[in-house]
Amino acid sequence: MIQTPATAPKKSLLKKLLLAGIILLLAGGAAVWYIFTREFEDTATQEAAYTVSAMPFMEEFRNNIDEANKKYSEKIITVNGRVTEIEKADTAVNIKMADTGTGDYIIFAFQQQHIKAAKQVQVGDSIAIKGSCSAGVYSDILETGFITFKRCSINK
Amino acid sequence: MKKTTLIIALAVLAVSAFAQKKTTTSATVKFDAATPLDALPVAENKTVVAAIDTKKGTVAFEAVVKSFNFSNPMMQEHFNGERWFNSEKFPKTTFTGKITNLSAINFSKNGTYEAKIEGELTMKGITKPLSTTATITVNGDVLITASEFTIALADYDISDAKGKIAKEPKIFVSAELK
Repeated sequence: MIQTPATAPKKSLLKKLLLAGIILLLAGGAAVWYIFTREFEDTATQEAAYTVSAMPFMEEFRNNIDEANKKYSEKIITVNGRVTEIEKADTAVNIKMADTGTGDYIIFAFQQQHIKAAKQVQVGDSIAIKGSCSAGVYSDILETGFITFKRCSINK
Repeated sequence: MKKTTLIIALAVLAVSAFAQKKTTTSATVKFDAATPLDALPVAENKTVVAAIDTKKGTVAFEAVVKSFNFSNPMMQEHFNGERWFNSEKFPKTTFTGKITNLSAINFSKNGTYEAKIEGELTMKGITKPLSTTATITVNGDVLITASEFTIALADYDISDAKGKIAKEPKIFVSAELK
């Protein structure tokens, strides 16, 4: 078929628009795929926003739980303290640092790749644990305050 | 002296073995909202507080919403957002209930028993009745429990505009209480 001078540029423009559309579609798809398949980074490689000691940290929550939650919730924190209890949690373990005077405690659940190291820890060990601070709340069951951490790693 | 020590040790053991309130701060709750259309990752909370009173038959759980952990940051954000659990406003999810067939469970004899539980589940500030069954394995002074049930998200004002997640997610609960 012989193209007239008027239809040739139109077809060329159409091709370019089609190509741009496909590229945009692929880029969008890749972005969505990345967002929905992205995983949390290894906590061990992340920088802590705060480094605290267990006892004053619990005291800070006791004194003003709302302010403490605003400050620490969903942030990476390193907590230095003495292990008071190790509890079985499904196939993993959780480590606890408790204030024996008040009953308040901090509990750390570990990221999959750090469970093995957590299982080596003993009650009485003085260690540093880095993790994402979930929140501090009051337990109506235990009648005490507690602070939970997720995705933790033993800080070496 | 040795006799006194032995008596004290036996008394402590007896109190521990027959303590009627068993607790843990490491119960696990898994939240699975996957559908055949979308294999969403399971959220897992391993720092749930749980208690069973073996004499009264009461059961209680409390979970910090922000402690539910996803492998994916976007899912984590959605889960805690206003449309979903709104964890800023409602930081805890709780269950309080009772074992209705308490006489069928012998807490002083090792074995696995099926418990019928009725109670109330509070999520996002909304309380609804919940009935389920659970297995309770008695192993000395330790109770190992497991339960599985579904909840209707609409009952708790949780909506998913895109309709990709299960309307009735499966909840798995397991705990080792001492």
